Amino acid sequence: MTNEAVILTHELIKSYGNAEAVRGLNLSVGRNSITAFLGRNGAGKSTTIKMLLGMIRPTAGSGTILGKQMTNAEENRELRRRVAYVAEDKPLYGYMTVEQTIRFASSFYPDWRRELEQKLLRDYELPLGRKVKMLSKGMRTKLALLLAFARRPNLLILDEPSEGLDPVGIEHLLQALVAQSAEGVAVFFSSHQIAEVERVADHVCILEKGSLLVDAPLDQLRQFYRRIDLVFPFPPTEREFRIPGVERIQTSGHQMSVFASRNAAAVIERAHDLNVVSVEVAPVGLRDIFLETVKES
Amino acid sequence: MLWYKAWLETRSRFLICLATLTLFSGIFVHHAEGLVRLESQSDFNRLLFVNQQFLVIMWVLAVVLMGMGGIVREKALGTSSLTLALPVSRARLLGVRVGMGVLEAIVLGVVPWVAVFFVSSFARKPILITQVASYILLLVGGGLVYFALAVLVSSLVSGEYTAPALAFGIVLLAAMLFDAWLRQFNLWRLVTGDFSIDRSTYLLSGHLPWLGILSSLSVAVLMVLVSTIVVQRREF
Amino acid sequence: MILTGVLLHCTFTVIQLYNMFFKLTPTTGQPLYLQLMQQIRHAAETGALRDGDQLPGIRTLAEELVVSPNTVAKAYSELEHEGLLELRPGSGAFVCVKRRTRSLADRVQVARHRIRDLVEGLREEGLLDEEIRRAFEAELLYPAEIARK
Repeated sequence: MTNEAVILTHELIKSYGNAEAVRGLNLSVGRNSITAFLGRNGAGKSTTIKMLLGMIRPTAGSGTILGKQMTNAEENRELRRRVAYVAEDKPLYGYMTVEQTIRFASSFYPDWRRELEQKLLRDYELPLGRKVKMLSKGMRTKLALLLAFARRPNLLILDEPSEGLDPVGIEHLLQALVAQSAEGVAVFFSSHQIAEVERVADHVCILEKGSLLVDAPLDQLRQFYRRIDLVFPFPPTEREFRIPGVERIQTSGHQMSVFASRNAAAVIERAHDLNVVSVEVAPVGLRDIFLETVKES
Repeated sequence: MLWYKAWLETRSRFLICLATLTLFSGIFVHHAEGLVRLESQSDFNRLLFVNQQFLVIMWVLAVVLMGMGGIVREKALGTSSLTLALPVSRARLLGVRVGMGVLEAIVLGVVPWVAVFFVSSFARKPILITQVASYILLLVGGGLVYFALAVLVSSLVSGEYTAPALAFGIVLLAAMLFDAWLRQFNLWRLVTGDFSIDRSTYLLSGHLPWLGILSSLSVAVLMVLVSTIVVQRREF
Repeated sequence: MILTGVLLHCTFTVIQLYNMFFKLTPTTGQPLYLQLMQQIRHAAETGALRDGDQLPGIRTLAEELVVSPNTVAKAYSELEHEGLLELRPGSGAFVCVKRRTRSLADRVQVARHRIRDLVEGLREEGLLDEEIRRAFEAELLYPAEIARK
């Protein structure tokens, strides 16, 4: 089963005056993956997603989603039929009741699944006759997510989906993501909840200041990122350790801490060449990978 | 279900305006008949003419109100990400909104006059249906441009109060300009029937200002087209 | 009577399997699918999984563990390569415990004893548990890095 790209962008740029919100973005999201899109606030995640959906026009560059040109208004409208999207602020029409909202949304999508809708309504315990503006924040979030999950689209895009959810809600959300992926839906979501991302994501993209700094399978990050703590008989020189793969070096007296995205073995060998006293190698969690990656840029 | 959404969005405004205009017209005609000694048919016809004056003011205010909303306003409300994610074109979104508004504007013009017709019939002062039809035609045909203006303003300005304020302001400004310099083309006078009224009988003549109405409608269509382009080019 | 007994036994086994606990830890530097593979192997070695037992479907297990279906799919696929699992399309994943695996289980038992003795010895020498763990981790990660060269 090939993992063809459902989202493919080419040198996507968005500038507002002199500020570049997105710089030369080459994004590739696979059909059979759960792809997480990480980044600080203001890194350009929402801007990128809005460009994909035709809400914002790129300054330059192009892209396709499900094979359709994202910058062509007509093709974008076509692709939106097969994409489910939940924006960060979980928008809903306050003046509609829960039932009206569902009837409204479902009328636009042939991939709507009535049985999923019923199941989610039961699980989320949403009152059908109540107006959306009278719902609690948690219920509004659940309804907004229901509109996406009661479908079987080709692509599911979620912008910060766990925001506003309690831990039980987050668990349900992740299970829903996994269920969608198991049905062949490509999942692309941005999140600040790194712990959640670490559990379900197959692929991770880290965006910082509009550029993609990391774009790799999560397993690859797990296998290759290492923190190596070294103690030498003398204060070591950092220059000796500027090997390909080394991202950051911190020295303090006789100690040196090396953060490497790959090639840890070369670092250890170099350390041994310099008569290292103690070598400790530890894996790096996604949170630390993220923090170190955005710190150094 | 876009029409359903447009209906839900304008329902309250529409029903309140409809009730207001209908009640006013009915009560005005009914009440005024008692106050003023209508000695001749022309006195009564003049009453109807005055009713149209009032109706025009209220109707224009009402349709400007009906023209508010749209995706630009939704952006301020935070729901544009939902609406624009739907697999419908922005032109269609605007088109449905305009369509619903036009239907509502027509009803707002027809129902009050129908109420007047029945009130007068009960008071044994029947009005010619052609008169009623003419007043409605002048009102809606000449006045839809005000609705289109409101649509244009709401596609440019997103504030809950600034948009209607601006629209009303332009209406007022236009009225003053028409009165000061463009008397011949005064839309207000066209809509109230001033151009077509026979001063002796106070009946609307059979010669309605078709050219004026057509021009007004053309300007309305133009404004809607401009709104479409504005909304299509805008970033959300 | 016998049939009912057999049916009950089978049902009980299936329920038992669906209550098997796999615990995947995302932060240990080891891909989740490898962890799952190890835990399934461990279950087979200790006898929690017997020859012919059925594992939950990919989607079911993924939802239960709340991990990507790809993780489960990869684990099952690799284990099928190793011969521990048999994937029957439409039916699911079935365990095939061969004699080799049983002797592996024995070897793991023996290794456990040795590790226990070693850890006891290191503790007696004054090393703290945390230091012992880090030494093991470094040893496990380091030769793997060198081997990759």
